[in-house]
Amino acid sequence: MAEVLPVGITGLAVLSALGRGSEPQLAAALSGTAAFGPVRRFDVSGRRVGLAATLDRAGSLSDELAGVVEQACQDAGLTAGQRAATPLLLAVHGHPGAGAEAVRLAERAGLAGAGRVYIGACVSASTAVADAALLIRRGAERVLVAAGYLVESDQFALFDAGQALATDGAVRPFSAGRTGLLLGDAVAAVLLESEAAAAARGRRPATRLVGWGRAGDAYHPCQPAPDGGGLARAVEAALRRAGVAPDALGYINANATGTQLSDAAEAAALRTALGAAADRIPVSSTKAVHGHALEASGLLELVITVLSLQAGKLPVNAGYLGPDPSCPLDVIAGSPRPVASPYALSLNSAFGGANTALLVQAT
Amino acid sequence: MTAISSDRLAVLSEYRWPEQPARELPVLPGYVLSSFSPLVAAAAEGCLGGHYGEQAATASRERTAVLLVTAGNDVVSAGHVRDKVAAGRRLGPLFFFQIAPNSVVGQLTARWGLGGPVVGISPVGDPLADGLAEAELLLEDGDADEVLLILAEQADPAVPDSVDRAHALLLAGRAAS
Repeated sequence: MAEVLPVGITGLAVLSALGRGSEPQLAAALSGTAAFGPVRRFDVSGRRVGLAATLDRAGSLSDELAGVVEQACQDAGLTAGQRAATPLLLAVHGHPGAGAEAVRLAERAGLAGAGRVYIGACVSASTAVADAALLIRRGAERVLVAAGYLVESDQFALFDAGQALATDGAVRPFSAGRTGLLLGDAVAAVLLESEAAAAARGRRPATRLVGWGRAGDAYHPCQPAPDGGGLARAVEAALRRAGVAPDALGYINANATGTQLSDAAEAAALRTALGAAADRIPVSSTKAVHGHALEASGLLELVITVLSLQAGKLPVNAGYLGPDPSCPLDVIAGSPRPVASPYALSLNSAFGGANTALLVQAT
Repeated sequence: MTAISSDRLAVLSEYRWPEQPARELPVLPGYVLSSFSPLVAAAAEGCLGGHYGEQAATASRERTAVLLVTAGNDVVSAGHVRDKVAAGRRLGPLFFFQIAPNSVVGQLTARWGLGGPVVGISPVGDPLADGLAEAELLLEDGDADEVLLILAEQADPAVPDSVDRAHALLLAGRAAS
């Protein structure tokens, strides 16, 4: 297993239906204020469900991606020379021309070029983050990861046709009575940097990425393994890389989408991977406030996890109506909790049984 | 065999579609209208069968990753969905999962017991070079000992005589080969 060198998170930028910038994401995550409303971006009159979390006056995805990449570079204080040595890893919905778009995005920001475009559904962004850490281990000083999904008519129609969308207007992760997911916008960029490179330019990251894991369920085209086998191994790998015991974990930002099968499988995975510690590690899924951002979800949720650690408060699991016996976890209901440990996991799962776990540490 | 440029990867098995002599793509139950998922499955099955044999699907291979590289994705399914949505019509529920390239990967991983990382990328440069570079990274990371790399593109209707093409390689690190 790859040796883990300190990788700092030294710049970030984000937008979702909760607003532009870090503050609205954190405020809504802590208060549990969801952003779902009627979709006005396209016609939903023929759909079973007409709700999503969309940002008013959002620009095109390419413009919004360019915006967050620029902001993240500024947030990190990168010089033009440092940008020119920083590759871009991009996570977006797969489509012809995605590679060329990544090249243009990197050029627009003065970056070193597009290193890779990730299109592996809902683990795309988190996979990119893991690869960024590996590239830094290989010797890169810094890597910029960007991801974006803006709710659009085709994916909305597909999720509606698959009857995956919540029918009661809310996303209720791990909750009794949950009815499904709702889609949401997210565009985010995160600069990962070797701590030596950060220190050389006078920066000390407030949060570092200390572990990651990736594993598959080998179970079904679109359903999770009921025992959460792949996700459990991803969590175990992330902890092992970092040398962190389950008892040291202070928070889990779960993948939980609010669907019956996925949330129960994730709970089973956490109990397998964490053992008795799963009884007392606070868990929430911030999808309950910003929705499911598909390829971009892993980066938005990582950003919110980082912001929460820095703020010293853990996000509420919004929409929670009460415990479901199939999800025996310590769900953060009602009000945010204080951070009691510097270590937090951000989890993602996707069609095809793909699973990722990212482990961060507040410094 | 492909003369791959990496000195860190060993090719354990390799398979290309279309076969010679040409034959029809095998039907993949649950997937309709488009050749993309059957194409991916045919290449992967040929590659895995060539290495593991036909009975090997019963074994668990928790440390075999699957890496799908495609620039076009399932362009036929995507076009179908786009047209239906533009016309204000409902979609068949099968398209909900069919259109995600990850779903056929899930079908393969279930059949062959492949439990390593599942990764999908769109090439920025040469697809094979990008795929090999990502495979190296996955092996170096340590969550996988083998990587099933699948490159797949559907025929381009704008190009005369264009056909569906796929290339699957089962890769391992040189030290493990």
